Amino acid sequence: MWSEPRIGVYICHCGSNIANTVDVEQVARFARSLDCVVVARDYSFMCSDPGQELIKKDISDFQLNRVVVASCSPTMHEPTFRRVCQEAGINPYLFEMANIREHCSWVTENKQEATEKAKDLVSAAVNRVYYHQPLALKEAPINPDTLIVGGGIAGIQAALEIADSEHKVYLVERTPSVGGHMSQLDKTFPTLDCSSCILTPKMTLVGSHPYIELMTYSEVEEVSGFIGNFKVKVRKKARYIDEDKCTGCGLCQEKCPAKTDSEFEAGMGKRKAVYTPFPQAVPNTPVIDREHCVYFLKGKCRLCEKVCEAQAIDFEQVDEFVELEVGSIIVATGYSLSDPSDIYQYGYKKLDNVLTSLEFERMVSSFGPTDGDIKLKDGSVPQSVAIIHCVGSRDKNYHEYCSRVCCMYALKYSHLIKEKIDAEVYQMYIDMRCFGKGYEEFYKRISDEGVNFIRGKPSRVTDRAITEEEKGKLIVVTEDTLLGRLIRVPVDMVILCPAMEPQADAEAVSRMFNINRGADGFFMERHPKLDPVATTTDGVFVVGCCQGPKDIPDTVAQASAAASRVLAMISKGKTEIEAATAVIDERNCSGCQFCKLICPYSAISFDEEKEVCQVNETLCKGCGTCVGACPSDAISLSHFTNEQILAQMEGLLV
Amino acid sequence: MAIVLNELDSKFKYEVAEEPGGENLKRCFACGICTASCPVSDIDSEYNPRKIIHMVLLGMKKEVLSSNLLWLCTQCYTCQEHCPQNVKFSDVVKALRNMAVREGYVHPSFAERVREIDVFSQKLRHRMVLSVVDKKAEEIKVDLAKLAEEAVGKEKVEI
Repeated sequence: MWSEPRIGVYICHCGSNIANTVDVEQVARFARSLDCVVVARDYSFMCSDPGQELIKKDISDFQLNRVVVASCSPTMHEPTFRRVCQEAGINPYLFEMANIREHCSWVTENKQEATEKAKDLVSAAVNRVYYHQPLALKEAPINPDTLIVGGGIAGIQAALEIADSEHKVYLVERTPSVGGHMSQLDKTFPTLDCSSCILTPKMTLVGSHPYIELMTYSEVEEVSGFIGNFKVKVRKKARYIDEDKCTGCGLCQEKCPAKTDSEFEAGMGKRKAVYTPFPQAVPNTPVIDREHCVYFLKGKCRLCEKVCEAQAIDFEQVDEFVELEVGSIIVATGYSLSDPSDIYQYGYKKLDNVLTSLEFERMVSSFGPTDGDIKLKDGSVPQSVAIIHCVGSRDKNYHEYCSRVCCMYALKYSHLIKEKIDAEVYQMYIDMRCFGKGYEEFYKRISDEGVNFIRGKPSRVTDRAITEEEKGKLIVVTEDTLLGRLIRVPVDMVILCPAMEPQADAEAVSRMFNINRGADGFFMERHPKLDPVATTTDGVFVVGCCQGPKDIPDTVAQASAAASRVLAMISKGKTEIEAATAVIDERNCSGCQFCKLICPYSAISFDEEKEVCQVNETLCKGCGTCVGACPSDAISLSHFTNEQILAQMEGLLV
Repeated sequence: MAIVLNELDSKFKYEVAEEPGGENLKRCFACGICTASCPVSDIDSEYNPRKIIHMVLLGMKKEVLSSNLLWLCTQCYTCQEHCPQNVKFSDVVKALRNMAVREGYVHPSFAERVREIDVFSQKLRHRMVLSVVDKKAEEIKVDLAKLAEEAVGKEKVEI
């Protein structure tokens, strides 16, 4: 039923954010002069409780049927004010927001110009809201099963929290075992508890939990659907070993003749072609790596088959595809450590005894390739070690961001070196960033142990000695910026702290799950402060280092946050779906299917019988791509009709 | 003696940032890789690019523009190549030299003399490289590192 619009306009001061640059009273006076505006007010914080009450009271006192709020970005508070309208009895789509903060006060210096712009934006919003139509809110059911992609500490933590509430979790991990980078670490800062000791119990739980279906050596191939109703195709790569029969005795690994570099040992040790990555692997079922297996390469060997008493070896296995249906997805695909050999001046891979952090981590680990002995390539024990921070981080030539964990693990290395071999340790740092709980205390503890801190970014690591003392050493050349003097530090070993980078296939993964990436390549959260684990695709969450470099405490906190978001969705059982969707007028549709081709959400299907296209309203995000593309002008977007947009433009221009 | 901050020219950094190549100056986080990689600092510890940038940022205009150190830079661009913040120090030095001449901190004849030396040294460098290249012209494979070594005539050169 159409009734003459009665519009209320509310101008927010946002404290001083808007009011310092925009003359809010003048904008309110101006709004009062516009057609159909019954009441216009300005108020310090429209989003506050009294601000919301003000709108509700006006709706009732003045019989308002349309509301405009001029304040911040709609991504911030549109849901707030829509709810206010709904609570006061107005359809939430009879509301419009004018952004006079991000689009006006924050980007305009001159107060008069800002005020004029604010007036234009308010006039546009008033013009637009005149044509708004009430839209029905839609709901879709939530499938209570969850997919988690990535079995590092982030995926493990999220999986356990969800599964403990007795909801099904599919945990997909690309490598043969869960554990991720954390399983490669020796001790963890700042408490120095052993990484394996705190991780292994969780890994075991993940492997045996009745509500977790663990799929290792598997990769997600396809994702379709929408929040609450995703369809996922997973490739389970052939292990060539029957998981049901294998007892995990390890005899096949012992006998296998083919050796190659171990990924788990960061290239510091070897593994066989049939292998479990490390002794505590979950599941404890090896895989046969086709690329290095003698049988696959040369057509004969099958030694493993001969020694396996359980007869678990099966060379006939092929990749399997599994179709899953889930309601929500948590992406926890982690990071990769950058290769510092590009930063040629530090000599990685050219000079002996220049290691990356992960290589040192394996060396110092008690179950690593040296059984935890810190030693040089010739087997001797180093007398002195330099640790270079920010290798490829905080550097415009490589990655601009700070990798956030290096300062702390560099301190940890100092401790381990002092404890095990009592060598001199030099930390070459730019700034010490010890920001977390207990981190500053750890810094103090390590300082007390007598580590040398040198503030400066080294220009090079060289083996060219200029004095007798330097002969046979690695010389780190740097400026000690606190002394203002160039210094040469001869050491036996150099540990580089390379940047944490997005995984090499982050681009493909972001496309598959429809996640945005930031300029740094990491996955983007919906809001950096207020929505840190959600993404712009409803029902898809990001946790851990795939979202940005972070340490274990932050990763675990994020994983728990995502788990609680998923559980909240499951517990509600249904989700509201944006009502602003595309509508196809079947009378005008020629059936060319161009819209179907370009729809980024696969929301359009073709009805063979009627020979017209149709929109699945639960899939449609209201992006409007099809509207622009339709050659017959048969598609319109509710809440973004031509009428509404033209009126808005007129309001801006007149 | 302590430096009194409010006696300094806090606008100086903006002036330098306005000059060509000065735009990223304010990003310097004083890591010192410019100094650590500088061949002049290696010989003369008084010359310190990081310190010069810091003096500009603090507004020590008079000290910077009247300093002899400003004229020691060889414009080899190593600092600029390594700088993690994209501060173009070689260009900043040029800007500071121009300002020093423009604002009368050095006599124009000094600048003229520097220009002459610069032209001469460019010619010298050109001739030096050419002579080595000519000598080696018959050899098909040219080892750049070796050539540079011969040109400089001392220790092994890092490429």
